[in-house]
Amino acid sequence: MLEVSKINTFYGKAQALWDVSFKLKKKEIVAFVGANGAGKTTLINTISGILRPVSGSIKFLSKRIDGLAPHAIVEKGISHIPEGRRLFPEMSVRENLEMGAYLPRVWKQKEETLEHVYQLFPILKERGGQLARTLSGGEQQMLAIGRGLMSRPKLCIIDEPSNGLAPLLVREIFQITEGLRDRGIAILLIEQNVRQTLEIADRAYVLENGRVILAGEGKKLLKKELIKKAYLGL
Amino acid sequence: MIVTFLDIVIAGLLLGGLYALIAMGLSLQYGVARVLNISHGEFIMLGALTTWTLFQLHINPLVSIAICGPIIFVLGFLLHRTMFKRLLNTSESADIFVSNSMLASFGLMFIIQNLALMGWGPEIRGYTYLAVPVDLAGAVFSKNRLVTLGFAIAIGLAFYIFLARTRLGKAIRAAAQDPSTAGLMGVNINFMLALCFGFGAAMAAIAGVLISMCYPVHAVMGLEYALIAIIVVVLGGLGSIPGSFIGGFVLGLVGSIVTYFEPGLALAAYYAIFILLMLVRPQGIMGR
Repeated sequence: MLEVSKINTFYGKAQALWDVSFKLKKKEIVAFVGANGAGKTTLINTISGILRPVSGSIKFLSKRIDGLAPHAIVEKGISHIPEGRRLFPEMSVRENLEMGAYLPRVWKQKEETLEHVYQLFPILKERGGQLARTLSGGEQQMLAIGRGLMSRPKLCIIDEPSNGLAPLLVREIFQITEGLRDRGIAILLIEQNVRQTLEIADRAYVLENGRVILAGEGKKLLKKELIKKAYLGL
Repeated sequence: MIVTFLDIVIAGLLLGGLYALIAMGLSLQYGVARVLNISHGEFIMLGALTTWTLFQLHINPLVSIAICGPIIFVLGFLLHRTMFKRLLNTSESADIFVSNSMLASFGLMFIIQNLALMGWGPEIRGYTYLAVPVDLAGAVFSKNRLVTLGFAIAIGLAFYIFLARTRLGKAIRAAAQDPSTAGLMGVNINFMLALCFGFGAAMAAIAGVLISMCYPVHAVMGLEYALIAIIVVVLGGLGSIPGSFIGGFVLGLVGSIVTYFEPGLALAAYYAIFILLMLVRPQGIMGR
């Protein structure tokens, strides 16, 4: 579904991604883990069009998307749920969700999609009229994910959903992520929380200083010595 | 005593309506496109002088609203697409862009002003339209000024509903709060910025049409209004369009009160308020 091939991204003169390649198929969770500054968010921003790769290609459903503007990429069926949630603070919960369905083709069905999202996150229906910035951390993350689903995406990119959340909530978020995969949405998950991420990921890549240093099935990577030492403190 | 009070209040509202209109346009340009448009007054002037010319051709000023609005909208849209968009791409940071765009709009102001001087000459122009007295509970006002107030309120309300209820309106609010994330929702940010800049210019032009109905107009009238618009926008709270609407009326009332006691000091009073605001409550009435 998604084919990223040898992309190199720069911030001005500083190179942040070095020949990064990976593939993602339908109905799977692919995770990218790595320390702060490893380049995970840079990778995501390159895929969703916020940044442009200097070389390499990104194909979604066999069509090139590198170089397209973010609004064109979301039109193709990719939804990017950004790091730090980035909700619209002065808009209500409902309005944030509605903005997720901004594209003309999904705006028409937004009431129906809204119902689906409310079923997934009942608390959002309850807090419908509240301003987004008054929600708790966990509720905000749910709103961010809900908003990302409103565009009825084929691929959902979720950037560090566990950030700042209590362990119980993190587990809930990961359960929901698995549920989305089972419903047929491909998931690209970016996380610093290595153990829980590798437990649910079908396949995972480890990013360090802008390079892919390890790749493999989630559960298998958990057993690797390198991971245990560097990321799990064992 | 009551009559005098009503006199002042209604005069304040009439003035305020105009101020609210010119401020809303500027607020839209600053809130979304992040351009502090010093040349905002020149779009007001263009609307005003074009209406004067059209009036000489026997075209009703109210019809001029429908003519000037769209034309200036297109002008504003194109200016953003070409000039300000370029600045946005080449500015190293958001703050640098704000100062660059302010400087650019300063230059734009001189260009438009001088073109207008070439086209219309330096003379002060005016015409009479609907200059019939209307009695409001003892206080007498000119019909054209009441029509102006009516339009200002109607436009303000329509704009508010547009922002609150429509798909495009919500997109504009989202773009003002977080343009990058709005892009992730599918909003074409480049188009949106130019659109808002155009809308802001159009609102200025419409205000200019209304001003020309009540006051004399000339090619260099713009700067004074631009400064008033800036004061109102800051008074209402940077980035808040309802704030600009309310701030306009507040400043109008202040102007009316000051003019009653000491005509000619109104402008000085506005600047005094601006300075006070910066010292005491820089975020304005509705600012966060």
